[in-house]
Amino acid sequence: MFSDRKTSRVMASPYAAWALIFILVPLGMIFYYGLTDETGRFTLANIAAISQPEHLKALGLALLLSVISTAVCFFLAYPVAMILAKNRVSSQGLITTLFILPMWMNFLLRTLAWMTLLENKGVINTALSLLHLPELNIINTPAAIVIGMVYNFLPFMILPLYNSLSRIDENVINAARDLGANEVQTFFRVILPLSVPGIVSGITMVFIPALTTFAISTMLGGSKILLIGNVIEQEFTLSYNWNLGAGLSIVLMIFIIVNMVISAITERREEED
Amino acid sequence: MKTKLEKVYMAVIFLFMYAPIVTLIVLSFNASKSRARWGGFTLQWYVRLFHDSEVINAMANTLLIALISTVAATIIGTLTCVALMGLRKKTRTIIMGITNIPMINADIVTGISLMLLFRVLHFQTGFVTVLLAHITFNIPYVMLSVMPRMKTLNPDVYNAARDLGAEPFYAFRKTVLPDLMPAVTAGALMAFTMSIDDFIITYFTKGSGFDTLSTKIYNEVKRGIQPEIYALSAIIFALVLALLILRAKIRQRAALPAKKKAALYRKEAHTRTKVIAGVCAAGAAILIAGMAFGGVFSTRGNKLFVYNAGEYIDPDVIDEFEQETGIEVVYDEFESNEIMYAKLAQDSAAYDVVCPSDYMIEKMISEDMLQPLDWDCLPLSRENIGEQYYRTAQQFDPGNRYAVPYFWGTIGILYNRKMVSDPVDSWNILWNPKYKGQILMQDSIRDAFMVALMKDGFDPNTTDQEEIDEATQDLIDQEPLVQAYVVDQVRDKMIGNEAALGVIYSGEATFTLRENPDLAYVIPKEGSNVWLDCWVITKHARNKKAALQWIDFLSREDIALKNFEFITYSTPNIRAQEAIEDPMIRNSKAIFPDADTLARCRTYSYLGKEGDEQYSEAWKKVKSGG
Amino acid sequence: MSPEEPGWRWDLNRKELIRLEHISKSFDGQMILDDLNLVIHENEFVTLLGPSGCGKTTTLRIIGGFEHPDSGRVIFDGEDITNLAPNRRQLNTVFQKYALFTHMDIAENIAFGLKIQNKPEDYINDKIRYALKLVNLEGYEHRMPDSLSGGQQQRIAIARAIVCEPKVLLLDEPLGALDLKLRQEMQYELIRLKNELGITFIYVTHDQEEALTMSDHIVVMNQGYIQQEGSPEKIYNEPENAFVADFIGDSNIIPATMVRDRLVRILGAEFACVDTGFGTEKPVDVVIRPEDVELVKPEEGTLSGKVTEVIFKGVHYEMSVMAGGFEWLVHSTKLSESGTDVGIRVDPFNIQVMNRPESEDEEAIGVDV
Repeated sequence: MFSDRKTSRVMASPYAAWALIFILVPLGMIFYYGLTDETGRFTLANIAAISQPEHLKALGLALLLSVISTAVCFFLAYPVAMILAKNRVSSQGLITTLFILPMWMNFLLRTLAWMTLLENKGVINTALSLLHLPELNIINTPAAIVIGMVYNFLPFMILPLYNSLSRIDENVINAARDLGANEVQTFFRVILPLSVPGIVSGITMVFIPALTTFAISTMLGGSKILLIGNVIEQEFTLSYNWNLGAGLSIVLMIFIIVNMVISAITERREEED
Repeated sequence: MKTKLEKVYMAVIFLFMYAPIVTLIVLSFNASKSRARWGGFTLQWYVRLFHDSEVINAMANTLLIALISTVAATIIGTLTCVALMGLRKKTRTIIMGITNIPMINADIVTGISLMLLFRVLHFQTGFVTVLLAHITFNIPYVMLSVMPRMKTLNPDVYNAARDLGAEPFYAFRKTVLPDLMPAVTAGALMAFTMSIDDFIITYFTKGSGFDTLSTKIYNEVKRGIQPEIYALSAIIFALVLALLILRAKIRQRAALPAKKKAALYRKEAHTRTKVIAGVCAAGAAILIAGMAFGGVFSTRGNKLFVYNAGEYIDPDVIDEFEQETGIEVVYDEFESNEIMYAKLAQDSAAYDVVCPSDYMIEKMISEDMLQPLDWDCLPLSRENIGEQYYRTAQQFDPGNRYAVPYFWGTIGILYNRKMVSDPVDSWNILWNPKYKGQILMQDSIRDAFMVALMKDGFDPNTTDQEEIDEATQDLIDQEPLVQAYVVDQVRDKMIGNEAALGVIYSGEATFTLRENPDLAYVIPKEGSNVWLDCWVITKHARNKKAALQWIDFLSREDIALKNFEFITYSTPNIRAQEAIEDPMIRNSKAIFPDADTLARCRTYSYLGKEGDEQYSEAWKKVKSGG
Repeated sequence: MSPEEPGWRWDLNRKELIRLEHISKSFDGQMILDDLNLVIHENEFVTLLGPSGCGKTTTLRIIGGFEHPDSGRVIFDGEDITNLAPNRRQLNTVFQKYALFTHMDIAENIAFGLKIQNKPEDYINDKIRYALKLVNLEGYEHRMPDSLSGGQQQRIAIARAIVCEPKVLLLDEPLGALDLKLRQEMQYELIRLKNELGITFIYVTHDQEEALTMSDHIVVMNQGYIQQEGSPEKIYNEPENAFVADFIGDSNIIPATMVRDRLVRILGAEFACVDTGFGTEKPVDVVIRPEDVELVKPEEGTLSGKVTEVIFKGVHYEMSVMAGGFEWLVHSTKLSESGTDVGIRVDPFNIQVMNRPESEDEEAIGVDV
């Protein structure tokens, strides 16, 4: 547009080279390591290793916890997004900012906060025992990991939901009421379907990081609970088995790709509409 | 009524989001180290934080990386967006598709892929690799912000400028860039935030001797939470809050009526050019400073790279060494022998001098990762270290060619006398369901298996699959009772009454006994591990001379004593042992166990690659609960 | 006013359907509607006309149930519906910018209201076909709203509203987003629809031409008050104040003095008129439509002046004439060249005399009829 094709090519080439070296080649290397053994021979063993019970369990647990966290985030965030959108709170306004603010705080500090709160002799239990209530033993359990995931990723759910809900023309909702739908019918037949793009991107933004995390499970699970992210991390930092680590990463990527395809389909449908 | 319900709901969510942050801030002013008790108001953690050069360095690194990567990504990203508009739609789609990959992919996969690249290309990991990684994941944020704006621009404005005789760049700068600026700024802001917040990708690409705030916090937290971190949290929160308010103010002004804005704009146009020029100059200066900081221009000749276990030296000792010899020490800590090994295996020249444990030394010798010592340069080490310790060292270092003993100790059970009613004399107590959720196990393969193997009466160095299987099953059975698998945290947790029983190293135990009088340390009757950590020099060490100086310096009587007082493990330095003033400590059974107890203890030996894999597999089974 | 006038017709023959009683509404302390009273009859095409911010849309939304008045009542068919939820009101709305459900196809959009009422499928399908035929969009059942043009979407919005067989159709500037030609087409379409359906239309617009073309009854609003209501002819020909005169069509509004009944002094010259009852030597305003100003030879006119500007408008010429220190706007099919000296003459029945407001504020005071 602003330059002829030749100049454009020259201008685009630094990034093209960058993307090749730092995006495509590294990705290719994961596939190379994942599909070979130590001697460099082709093998599927590293990928098949996912079927080993300890890996399968780590993957299963990661899937379970991330699905639960995503669901909890969704049900917590939807009303928040609705209330923000309904009251036409500006996206740059104070209230919205306050809901996003924790997102800007360092991720590890946010998790650290929950370590402090949930410890056996931590803040919550101290408060509970002062009130003569039974203490909670949550730290180092899957529940603690779920809390950590929900807390860390909740803003990532609120934001896209809010964006898509606030884009719905108020008159579309009025139209549904006008045509005889009560509030519940309006919600399920109009508001919910129209917020699907936000739901999909919110789910992606929570599910992927939750599925692949290793820091949250290490910090709140007391290294007792291995998720697939922990297994992969340890293959690289502890067991020093790049091939196995890469193989398991490929398996992880399958889930990411599935998620990507689903969101791409929704997006395309959005565009066609 | 309905709005009331809404308000209550918003308040609850609000509480959920802010209660943890408020807790951190409150605790940052708590004089008591205990998190459960308010010990009065203090600012000492802030003072300490600012005296912690490592945290300050990490902070500087974080900001540098964020600034440089944002500037670079913004320039590359914007330029590419402009270029893409001149390319065929298909090319554009492909490039945008590739750009999307780091956005959609999991950070762990991106991090690992970049780590593989750097390792295979034998890049020295550190500042530069982290910077490259950050630029890589920042470019997409800029492009995805600029591209949509780019598409809405009217090319005729540019064409009109050209038509009126403007040169292409001038026309671009005067017509296109101003329209593009809001999107560029938004993209840059996003990139900056992402860079500051990133942990996972940095974690995999950072290498040794380099930390950003995120990785620093992660290491600190794994070691046990220090109140300084709370102070850090409070500061970061305040900064973020200030930044967001500033941003809101700027946006508010952007929403002013056009007329007012135009007036403001005119007034500020002049200062703005100045500011932009200033920012660019500052950016360039930072870039150069950063390169120097990252060690790109610096040589390694006068530096010594030391890799030691966590909290395994009195920091004053490093300063003293630097002052006496003029050698600059780059000091890094590892969490376990395995992590140390993984790092050295990836980059054999990363460190000159390392302090591994017995079995690891055996493994490194067998893999030709170490170089023999020149004993002529180590007079104090020959003199001061007890002969019996050299003899023990021969178990893994035949002929004493590679290793100089540093500290030694045993592993045992630390327990809280108020919380444990049964007598503690056997590993079996760690399987007593009465103490469910009250047991801390070591998060280290060999130590955890040693406990189970010893309990069952097996050799902790066994490679017999059946014996390992039995121990594995025992550990799996034990898992539900275990509160957490930790390393250095055992100490703080036991002091804080977080658990009743913990597997701990003797030196750590001595420290805890001082802090909490309810604790007691026992070496179980089945026997345990005795370990000996030694200094060794890596095969490809670049500063061998300084490494020898370092080792011998640590063997000096006064230095060894100083370290002993700081670390509280058993020192093999006889002169230092004799110089211990406190007879209670000099005669402590925990620190210097009697011959009988010692006879029941074994050192670890290197099991070979296959043996390691046996244990590694078994350990994964334990962690995944079978 | 005589019963023969078209605007009167409805009052005698038709039943009252909606009555707004003392409606007031303010947003953020700003008064939008102040004690508004309005009666709407059955089978009427009523237009609420006024500039933006005059309160016309708020009035419509109060009738539709999307806003709740601060005070006052809404009576529908004899029943107080002030507190009734919108889904329980027997009226439907066609919204600005259509407000179609973008996640549903056309058939689903139209069927929405019927499905809520749990109507049988056959009935729904018949209704869809009938409605699409009514708006001339047969065969569009399975298209998505975004693939339709603005005009088509507008028709679908109307179809969606009428399948529920409301007694009243509320239309909120439904043609605002369409281009001129389409807008004119749709105007005729709406009149046809109204006649076919035989229901009441309440139409909101700021476009006076649209209002004049379609309505049986126009309510002119400004600053939360009703300025005047009546038939299009009456509103156009007999504006009751300067605001209405200015808002409806081009006009020359000139300060003048009522010398006595049937004689008014305009810019120093005395004109015969038909108005009576303003007293003697009273300051008034007169409205003279541009097409009612006759340009004659200077000596034949009541007032003389000079043509200063001429623009050819296709059907007529638009001329500016400086006469008596006032710039007159004149529409005529006969050309008088720029610079020509001319005389101005106005037929007595084309001079509309109005009370002059004492102050700016008084202009806005409600003129209840």
